[in-house]
Amino acid sequence: MTESGLVLTRHHGAPDQTTLAGYERVGGYGALRRAVQIGPDEVAVQVKASGLRGRGGAAFPTATKWSFLPKETFPRYLCVNADESEPGCFKDRVLMEEYPHQFLEGVLIAAFALRVTHSFIYIRGEYRSQRELLERAVEEVYRAGYAGRDVLGSGWGCELIVHGGAGAYICGEETALLESLEGRRGQPRLKPPFPAVKGLYGQPTVVNNVETLSNLPFIVEQGGAAYAATGTEASPGTRLFCVSGHVEHPGTFEVPMGRTTFRDLVELAGGVWKGRKFKAMQPGGGSMQILGPEHLDTPLDFKAVADAGSSLGAGALVVMDESTCVVNVAMRLVDFYRHESCGKCVPCREGTYFESELMHRLEAGVATRSELADLSDVCANMDGRCFCPLGDTATWFVMSAYRRFPEEFEMHCGAGVCPVRYRQEVMV
Amino acid sequence: MAEAPAAPALIGVEIDGRTVEVAPGSLVWDACEKAGVFVPVYCAHKKLEPVAVCRMCLVEVEGMPKLQPACATRVSAGMVVRTATDQVRKFRDGNLEFLLLNHPLDCPVCDRGGECDLQDFTQRYGPGRSRASITEKVHFEKAIPLSDKIYLDQERCILCWRCVRYYEEITGEREIVLQERGVHTVVDTFERRPLQSKFQGNLPEICPVGALTHAKYRFRARPWDLRRTSSVCSHCSYGCNIFVDAREDQIARYASNDNPEVDDSWLCDRGRYAFSEHNRGDRVVNPEARVGGVRQAVAYKDAIERACGGLLRIRGEFGPSAIGVVGSSRLTNEEAFALQWMAREVIGTPNLDHRLSRLERITPDDFEVGIAEIEECDAVVVLGPTPEAAAPVLTLRLFKAENKRGRQILRVPVGVAAARLLQDLPPEATVAIVAHESDASAARELRRKLSAPKRLVQILTIVDEVNSRGCQDLGLLPNWLPGYRPALNPGLETLAMLKAAVDGTVRALVLVDPSPDLEGRALFADALASVELAIVVAARPGVSTRGATVVLPGRTLVEKAGTVTNTEGRVQRVRSAVEPKFAFPPDLRVIADLAAGLGGDLGVQPLAGPVFTKIAEAVPAYRGTQGGLRAKWSLLP
Amino acid sequence: MADLPTSSKSAEMLDTATIRRIADMKGKYPEARSAVLPSLWAVQDKLGYLPTWSLEAVASQLGLLPSDVEAVSSFYSMYFNHRPGRHIVQVCLNVSCGLRGADELLEQLRESLELDDEGNTPDGSFTIEGTVECLGACGGAPMLQVDRYSYVDLTPETAVELVQGIRAEDGRRR
Repeated sequence: MTESGLVLTRHHGAPDQTTLAGYERVGGYGALRRAVQIGPDEVAVQVKASGLRGRGGAAFPTATKWSFLPKETFPRYLCVNADESEPGCFKDRVLMEEYPHQFLEGVLIAAFALRVTHSFIYIRGEYRSQRELLERAVEEVYRAGYAGRDVLGSGWGCELIVHGGAGAYICGEETALLESLEGRRGQPRLKPPFPAVKGLYGQPTVVNNVETLSNLPFIVEQGGAAYAATGTEASPGTRLFCVSGHVEHPGTFEVPMGRTTFRDLVELAGGVWKGRKFKAMQPGGGSMQILGPEHLDTPLDFKAVADAGSSLGAGALVVMDESTCVVNVAMRLVDFYRHESCGKCVPCREGTYFESELMHRLEAGVATRSELADLSDVCANMDGRCFCPLGDTATWFVMSAYRRFPEEFEMHCGAGVCPVRYRQEVMV
Repeated sequence: MAEAPAAPALIGVEIDGRTVEVAPGSLVWDACEKAGVFVPVYCAHKKLEPVAVCRMCLVEVEGMPKLQPACATRVSAGMVVRTATDQVRKFRDGNLEFLLLNHPLDCPVCDRGGECDLQDFTQRYGPGRSRASITEKVHFEKAIPLSDKIYLDQERCILCWRCVRYYEEITGEREIVLQERGVHTVVDTFERRPLQSKFQGNLPEICPVGALTHAKYRFRARPWDLRRTSSVCSHCSYGCNIFVDAREDQIARYASNDNPEVDDSWLCDRGRYAFSEHNRGDRVVNPEARVGGVRQAVAYKDAIERACGGLLRIRGEFGPSAIGVVGSSRLTNEEAFALQWMAREVIGTPNLDHRLSRLERITPDDFEVGIAEIEECDAVVVLGPTPEAAAPVLTLRLFKAENKRGRQILRVPVGVAAARLLQDLPPEATVAIVAHESDASAARELRRKLSAPKRLVQILTIVDEVNSRGCQDLGLLPNWLPGYRPALNPGLETLAMLKAAVDGTVRALVLVDPSPDLEGRALFADALASVELAIVVAARPGVSTRGATVVLPGRTLVEKAGTVTNTEGRVQRVRSAVEPKFAFPPDLRVIADLAAGLGGDLGVQPLAGPVFTKIAEAVPAYRGTQGGLRAKWSLLP
Repeated sequence: MADLPTSSKSAEMLDTATIRRIADMKGKYPEARSAVLPSLWAVQDKLGYLPTWSLEAVASQLGLLPSDVEAVSSFYSMYFNHRPGRHIVQVCLNVSCGLRGADELLEQLRESLELDDEGNTPDGSFTIEGTVECLGACGGAPMLQVDRYSYVDLTPETAVELVQGIRAEDGRRR
């Protein structure tokens, strides 16, 4: 464990981390050399010892995911999910913008451990400058012999391909990502078969998140145990949390898991802005359920947050102050899902549309009480019924907000305007 | 030889309290079907891979927290499935509400009204109320002509993806694709370019709603106006099974009637849309005869007597060889058999045929491999474009063999060098050669060259017309007796007969259902003008009826009952779907009546069933084939 | 970023440089079809949008049907099938930005720049989009993205200044 307790941002302040030379000056690519020395199996052992769990949102143990690959089926592929699009999440952007080589080293370590011949980094279309930055970094990596044929004399070779998306949230779902990478519409695949068995081009494939892989240089360099020691047993390691919304200083903060609380995060971000009172927060990203002030002291631990009725998801935290209209926030999220529904299955395609129409009527104060009941019913017909999690989760925030703030939702019915905004405007 | 793998043990699955045994790997949907439990589906289709997009078939599976799509969930031993619980019902209702949210509800003007799964399921499971009126509907385009055959209505489309998957998985042409996304998703062609496929007519059939409709069926009928008859498409020798949907005396459409061994539920447009041919009004509706040099309508009995009197006179004067008998490849097996019997046994002439001239000496050896069996062959060699041009649906079978079964399809020119093919063929393999009948000798030659100790090479010959195969099998030929027994004194084939007629050696012709090919020949007109007696049984007026001495009204294949034999030797039933506008006897009876007038006794009622019994006696390969099986030539000594 | 739409109208053919880029990308992937998205990007970078003929051109370069390519291009929101403004301005209206005044920011842009219903400025310099995914810069909310670059911690006023500044810069360059 480093003195700072940091993993992902431990090189913060060191110059030129976006260049190979700068990264090598802080020992960069030493972990890849070490990986080559200790061999792929030992890398997997260290990853297992680290307890690292996926940082894309599902928190699945990384070593276990790797172990699902059929033993002797080749070629196999590594796809990096850099399609960060969860509302409120911007950590992968930071990791790619500020520590691109640490990330690429992580990719190569995983590629080596999995003995893949091609690694693809699927980066969302909106991250155009980040894609170009990565492409430049990849060129440097090739020139240095860390990618391409016979990496570091190991006899193992790997191509590293940066693949840009073109505007589709759904491509963050791993099978939709694979479809998109194969040059198709980014629509999720039927599972099983799972990507580990039949993924990209029908071959065994691992899909890992940017943050997940950015941890690997540390894990290989310092050992899995050192990594595990930074968090708690149930939630090992650190995470780069994205705090945004009504705080004084929004940003990313790397903190050890389990030992930190939501309150700590809010305070790191300078507290609720403008001296206002805290009303609610959405952890995990746009898909997750709303939590209230009583959850501020919940530790950033997978289980504790799940028990509170939400999820750490992709590591976001959106803070809402007392002036917030939760109906408005919910409407915004529902509009997002309506726009991003891939259209594949009926309950998501039509349900997000129905939901959004109802939310607009509600927010405008023209919905009736029975429409509010319809909204619950529509959500019930979507949740758990859709082809992939997009449609299911399109209901989670709305329903959790309704449960938590029923009077605020009901107040909107027939009010003619958004009563929250109206009250603020009258008060001003 | 390795032991045949034991059939996998069936596993027990419980569906709504009933236990059924199904093969491992079956879908819950299949198990439900086996249990007699109906599960509504839109996207699922027996011929397409599951996609589970419509969610209509979600059911409860014990031990799984979420409802599961029956169409895509594989069974496991002891699985307990419930399809009618409260949560399943509630969701079905809600899902139908979703589907109707942006649906135009224009059933009164929709061709699918009355046979639409959206309409049907809404009545059966759907919401009793509507709250969809709260929202604005998303509008799309309607009545888009995608070609001269197909209309698309994007508003009625429920995005089940069947048409898209059909084009991807069944034809590989990918003409209709998904465009846009989310609630704006539509199916469409690239830049609205017209469809080119030869298989467009299958689209309205796989569409569960009224989004894709037939131009030829537009505003034509409601399903309850139609009378449905199962039969065989008569437009090539492939023998696709169809339903003939008739409204009064008009045929409204053909629909596919899945026979996995033949058509696999797909029809070609050439066959499917040819139904309107049968609605043409130009028909022979009365027996006629030339009386004193003037053609006039006569009674049926009178016509038969005149015909037989003339034939007896000519036979008496010039011998039986002065009479020629010509049928066509559109006759049923029963008619063909009766006609050759009449020619040989009753008239006593060796001059009989059903086609213009003999092409190749084709024997049962040229039809070894069946249509569905080509899927099982490691490689399929197709000689030239003619087989697929003659039998278009063959293309889909070849695509399936390639795409779903991973078989090697080699489309090569007829004169391909065997050496070139040998580069691609493994030493141990089963190979099918598919050739048109006109290339039968090339196919045989190739089979000889490709055959090797561990390489089995078999041929599938594609013949030209609906019952070319049956007419050959049953000996409506001058050189073969029924069952390919050689004729001792082969007579004249058609063209030779016509020449002989012009020369004056043939003095009478009996023509049953003369083919357009025949009628188009100048020689035919000359022959008719030369003979003393021409007896014609025909459905439509033409050269032959105009030149005939006696005309008897005939039926078209959709008006007949009997069997036809497809190119692979499968004996299939045709049924009378519409009645002709006259009440005179069917062609088979006409043949029997003529024979009777000449002193011949068929020995059985002139009906398809009894005559088939006679066929089976005469041609052992045809025994036991009536359930749609292939004639068993290979089992004969 | 879209290069300035120049004389691309002259011939409905891809230029050799773009064709070479497509060929390069095709070679990079184990299967050629994977090069569809990057190829469409290459074309859009060159032409500013994806005219119909370019979809056919991409299809033929990659051995696909034009229908395959249109199915893909129409799915992703960043591909244009008509010519947009010279600069694409994406205004994030998602939760974090919404909480910090993104609606007002977009409203101000709409008024100041006299946007039409499609979000275009009258002079064709800008297309402003307000229905985009969360742009992943919530730490700098409210924010917008002009072509490939993010601009964060904006107010309605600074957003308008930013856009006007880009317009002025374009004017100077021309």
